[in-house]
Amino acid sequence: MEPRFPDPTSLGLLLAVAALPFVLPTVTLASEAVVFATGTLSCSLLLGGVGLLSFGQGLFLGAGAYASGLLLRDAGLGTAAAVLLSTLGAAALAGLVGFISVRRRGVYFVMLTLAFAQMGYFAVLAAGRVTGGENGLTGVPRPSLPGGLALDTPGAVYAVLAVLCLSAFFLAQRVLASPFGSVLAAIRENEARAEALGYGTRAFKVAAFALAGGIAGLAGAMHTLFLGFVPPNTIQLEMSERLIVMAIIGGAGSPAGAFVGALFFVVAAEFLAELWPRWLILIGLLLIAIVLFMPRGIWGAAQELLARRRAAAVPGLAADA
Amino acid sequence: MSAQLLLFQLLNGLGIGMIYFLLSVGLTMIFGLMGFVNFAHGAFYLVAAYAAYSVSLLTGSMLWALLLGPLAAGAVALASERLLLRRTYALPHEAQILVTFALSLILQETVILVFDPLSKNVPVPDFLSGIVFLGDFVYPAYRLAVVGVAAAVALAMWLALERTRFGAILRAGSESAEMVSLLGVDVGRVFMAAFALGGALAGLAGALAAPLRGVEPFMGLEALGVAFVVVVVGGIGSFAGALLGGLLIGVVQSVMSSLWPEGARLMIYAAMAFVLLARPAGLLGRA
Repeated sequence: MEPRFPDPTSLGLLLAVAALPFVLPTVTLASEAVVFATGTLSCSLLLGGVGLLSFGQGLFLGAGAYASGLLLRDAGLGTAAAVLLSTLGAAALAGLVGFISVRRRGVYFVMLTLAFAQMGYFAVLAAGRVTGGENGLTGVPRPSLPGGLALDTPGAVYAVLAVLCLSAFFLAQRVLASPFGSVLAAIRENEARAEALGYGTRAFKVAAFALAGGIAGLAGAMHTLFLGFVPPNTIQLEMSERLIVMAIIGGAGSPAGAFVGALFFVVAAEFLAELWPRWLILIGLLLIAIVLFMPRGIWGAAQELLARRRAAAVPGLAADA
Repeated sequence: MSAQLLLFQLLNGLGIGMIYFLLSVGLTMIFGLMGFVNFAHGAFYLVAAYAAYSVSLLTGSMLWALLLGPLAAGAVALASERLLLRRTYALPHEAQILVTFALSLILQETVILVFDPLSKNVPVPDFLSGIVFLGDFVYPAYRLAVVGVAAAVALAMWLALERTRFGAILRAGSESAEMVSLLGVDVGRVFMAAFALGGALAGLAGALAAPLRGVEPFMGLEALGVAFVVVVVGGIGSFAGALLGGLLIGVVQSVMSSLWPEGARLMIYAAMAFVLLARPAGLLGRA
């Protein structure tokens, strides 16, 4: 399916984000869902958009989280400026990491993203005096927004996070539907052919990596606003892995899949973790099942089901489905 | 840094480097043979370290632990290959990576389920708990034994690769698995053997490392990151590259740990980035 913007899923996302705090048991859970949905989007955009599997998006999420924490607490910046600057900073870092990593293709690239993610964590530990090391960055304030909107209730925080999350998703949909997005899709389908057509595929990949890194950095800044402190697990390898797991479960084929995957994971974590602390074993099994039997994830499967229903409703089309 | 300390850290680096070599050589071998990147490789290291811990707790003998730990890892590797990974050979790389990653997640959580998330100490074998005198220089016997054991295994592996029929098949398989299969070799069995062997070698690394660093459930993930650094630095698919990369990374980590303790592990990743910029295919890799 050709990506378009806006498409019906844009409206669906808008409605889902508006409904979440009322549907889920707590507003906090809704906030967590939109933060991780934004982080997952950065994985989906790379994997679904360009065909790049990155085990390192946690690095950029963590970088955004730490940058926003330091800007809010130590530099005394306002919320909007801190979010914007940490998003741009994460994008710049991703541009640099991407520049080094896309020199290698395929599995080498994946290994490098994981190694750089690990490097980021050790860098945070090494710079313990600035980052707080294992204790994280504590006591991050949430200054009011320029319009005078105070971020002093979970609802107000959610409203801001929801706007940021939707902006990221709409931006991703818009980019995938643009000529730039078409070149990315061409690289995903056949990089050699895209190169033969005259596209500098490396530059496109670095640009996509920087864009995805910026989105992950935005998710990190959202995470800081949400929690009011920056735990070191925002930049640990487990974060990168969690984002990948969410992206695959939801289905990396479209931004909507990222939202579905993150929502599924966050809600599952909330309910399963209390029943069985080792619930990640189930997630591991689910991940294997999805890769082997349902490679387009939950969202992809839902779309297929919908398409089949529609085809069945129109006589004559059923044969093609 | 005094010459004495430098020598001490270089020797330490040699020991860590040999462990890193054992950890990475299976990864690089399996990749060379099948183009398969195994994200569960660190989990084999983890399983062996915990097996060694349990055996030393039950029998009080670290020697048995060092023997049974790698066997346990080899068995887990063999079982995963037969039951699961074999089904992914025909799938794209991304699918293989995700399945092996899921496997490592399951193994890691199972370790926490059976034990607990806390880190534990593992004793050094009794007969290696002393120190040895090298001239007027003292050094822990166990660390020296690690270097010796790993060097012996490396030599045995090299001989096996160069001089045996299985080694020849492995080398030929990494050139072209399809051609080897056409010549009548059962490639499926070779893959299986390579997986079990690679898992057991990662297991040996885990069992040897256990008395040095203790065991904790996330050591497998950390080991995976290190193994990637080693193969990226050395050049993936290359036996000598894994040795050179492992030693280089081990020495960098060890020497840096006395110059800048908080940054020692950061520096091995910096070393990787540096090598990558200068030689994208790694020190001994083919472009």
